[in-house]
Amino acid sequence: MAVVKTLLYLFVYPGLLFLLLYSTFCEWVDRKLYARFQNRIGPQYTGKQGILQPIADFIKLLVKEDIVPEKADKTMFHFLPVFGITTVMTAGLYLPLWNVSSIVPAYNSFPGDIILVAYLLSLPTLIFFLAGWHSTNVFAGIGGVRVLTMLFAYEVPLLLAILGPALLAGSWRLAEIARFFQHHPSLLIVNIIGFFVGLITLQAKLERVPFDIPHAETELAGGTFAEYTGRGLAYFRLLTDIQMVVGAGLLATVFMGGFPGGILLGLFHFIWKTLIIIALLSLMRAGYARLRIDQMVEFSWHWLAPLSVIQLAIVLLVKGAL
Amino acid sequence: MKIKVGSLIPELIRHFFKRPVTIDYPFEKITMVKGFRGTPILSPERCIGCRACERDCPASAIEIIQISPQEEKEKKLQMTIHNDRCVHCAQCAESCPTKALAMDSEYELAADSRKELKAVYTYIRASLSNIPKEPPTPPQTP
Amino acid sequence: MKNKITIGPQHPALKEPISLRLTYDGDIITDADLRLGYTHRGLEKLAEGKSYIQNLYLTERICGICSHSHTTAFALGVEQLMGIEPPKRGTAIRTIIAELERIHSHLLWLGVAAHEIGFDSFFMYTWRDREHVLDILESISGNRIHYAINTFGGVRRDIDQDQRSTILEQIAHLQKRTEYYLNLGKTEPTLTARLAGVGKLSKEQAIDLCAVGPTTRASGVAQDIRKDDPSLSYPDVPFEIALSDTCDVLGRVVVRIKELISSYTIIEYLLKNLPDGEIRVKAPRKVPEGEVISRYEAPRGENIHYIKSNGTDKPERLKVRAPTLANYPATVEMLKNVFIADVPLIFAAIDPCVCCAERVIELVDSHTGRPEIITMSQLRTEANNYYRKKNIRNKEYLWPW
Repeated sequence: MAVVKTLLYLFVYPGLLFLLLYSTFCEWVDRKLYARFQNRIGPQYTGKQGILQPIADFIKLLVKEDIVPEKADKTMFHFLPVFGITTVMTAGLYLPLWNVSSIVPAYNSFPGDIILVAYLLSLPTLIFFLAGWHSTNVFAGIGGVRVLTMLFAYEVPLLLAILGPALLAGSWRLAEIARFFQHHPSLLIVNIIGFFVGLITLQAKLERVPFDIPHAETELAGGTFAEYTGRGLAYFRLLTDIQMVVGAGLLATVFMGGFPGGILLGLFHFIWKTLIIIALLSLMRAGYARLRIDQMVEFSWHWLAPLSVIQLAIVLLVKGAL
Repeated sequence: MKIKVGSLIPELIRHFFKRPVTIDYPFEKITMVKGFRGTPILSPERCIGCRACERDCPASAIEIIQISPQEEKEKKLQMTIHNDRCVHCAQCAESCPTKALAMDSEYELAADSRKELKAVYTYIRASLSNIPKEPPTPPQTP
Repeated sequence: MKNKITIGPQHPALKEPISLRLTYDGDIITDADLRLGYTHRGLEKLAEGKSYIQNLYLTERICGICSHSHTTAFALGVEQLMGIEPPKRGTAIRTIIAELERIHSHLLWLGVAAHEIGFDSFFMYTWRDREHVLDILESISGNRIHYAINTFGGVRRDIDQDQRSTILEQIAHLQKRTEYYLNLGKTEPTLTARLAGVGKLSKEQAIDLCAVGPTTRASGVAQDIRKDDPSLSYPDVPFEIALSDTCDVLGRVVVRIKELISSYTIIEYLLKNLPDGEIRVKAPRKVPEGEVISRYEAPRGENIHYIKSNGTDKPERLKVRAPTLANYPATVEMLKNVFIADVPLIFAAIDPCVCCAERVIELVDSHTGRPEIITMSQLRTEANNYYRKKNIRNKEYLWPW
């Protein structure tokens, strides 16, 4: 019985199949909202209202020819996208989705898994850098260097922002943090600054406008992904989609009170909470221009880091008062 | 200079509730305005064979040859309009002294080979005395 | 360490092929080299084999965005050679179309510049507004892009009352939208952060390097052919030249938006005071001998046409100097000491119309400084000798199927 449950958890929900389908659905939501904000239609024809368009794009990329540059390292070139998907999917497995009862927390949570999720979500940045480096293309090399520069800018505010609710709940376990805020919903307001810092740094982690300098289309002809075609590009695009879902799930767990209830009720809460975060990310993507790398680093260290430190101070004050 | 963070955001949210301006071509089509310059259409009963259109066309898209022998009184002409070369400038319609050429509103001109786009007219050359008064209006595609 | 990066000829940032070879150090450009010639079509030679009427449509197709500027400059020059003058109503309609073309070109440029900095929503909004202008142009002239409304002696089509009221309505709507964009440009922080301080060209440099159009008006140089050498209906219409003194890309954006607003006022004035009368006079087929230079303020700057006629109905020589060609030396100067991330924006800020600028250019020997014109047969023998020495037969090439 436990073996069947483990296999179901790993491969169906919330593992492989659910993450794949839900991330393509979230990409559709993002594209449709982006288009509606700009007075356009967005995807229209594949499936009803274009809902199968991301899957169609994925399949189209899979059947295209896979071209490897002459001087690039073949093994690393093929290995990196697959490794990336593995990382983010493993991070997705630790979101507290499958709460059996209100006493026993989610299926495979353990103390300290917030650090594990944050670490696994920052591995794709290293993978993007390696992908750009191994492409032996000038533009891809510049893109790879920029990815790492951005990592120095946004990682610290993101970790500090996630730390706030963890301190308030007094635990390093995602399921316990979620449960704490389910029992004390009024304390969610304390972390409102942290929520906005978390949103902005998540946008930077996902490399979307205004922070998509590494693969800026008009400047670097694709940046880190310039030399990837066919299967590799399909996996990298899937990687960004799954990263968006897992990042949104992380923010929803820590700032919006998690996903209470059993399997079905937890799924319902997961869907509406992540959709709100994705709608806010789409709005941010539509409303701003792209920042230059030096402006982004300056913005992050002048505004985001101090804001997250202020957030920590507020949390400590409230915790002392409680 | 006051800086407002997110000054485009209210406009974006307002657009979310408006109808999109994109026209769902090819399932929805727009009608062309009157006076749209499509392809040239000949009214053969008005052509007097002066070859002004052939001379003035910038893309050499009109070809007129005489297919009846030289000594016959009634000249039979053949005009080929090469719609694949036409640049839709309407200079031919303007140069024609009897208004025999007019532009229709055809714009979907994609074809599989250039031969499909040639329009050939074989007719007897009209004389200036027996041309009808009103020039016909060309077909307007809906 | 010094590295070279080539932007173009195929690059997503460029709308037309041009090769920018940049030497960079870290993230800053130290040197720039511009290579042209990728869209040379031989239009000047082609114009010598066609009659003047046919050349009217050939010059229109030098460019898609500024097509009316080329045919108007050509028609003005040939009318001067013929010695005819178009009636007032014809000139007024020509000016209205010219200002409508300026509006559509500047709205297009605003969208393209926004796309270069990643601001796609702004791009979609300005191009949606541009559709109104293209619909007006289609109702007047029959086509959205190559209007073909000029002919020797006037214009071919008239504007009637219904069209007049529709145009005035649309212009009022566009005026509201343009004012919204002006406010957005002032207050949106990411936009100003990308545009301010980028691509500096001081006033002395702009005058020395002979920059034209909004590029130089943004550096405070008050040069506008509509005021310096007025033709068409510009002497009758009151308007202001758009100037800015920030000398950077933000200044160029502001100059173009100000020009949009002044274009709206010019069109409103002309439509309300449209003179009555004929729209064209008859023009002879053969043009008397002579040579003429005609200048015109295209949306991108000063457009010069030189026409030499020899008494027949075909021109002897046509030379076109498009405004983008005059802006290239200024671009090379602007590209020094900037970040790589700013290169597409600086290049897009001069509003490049590369297909206008690809005409016959003299080759200057860099060692001796003497200009040299090579004949085709000489070039062919030199090319064959060069490749024979390089021995390319031994290289492996994969034939692309």
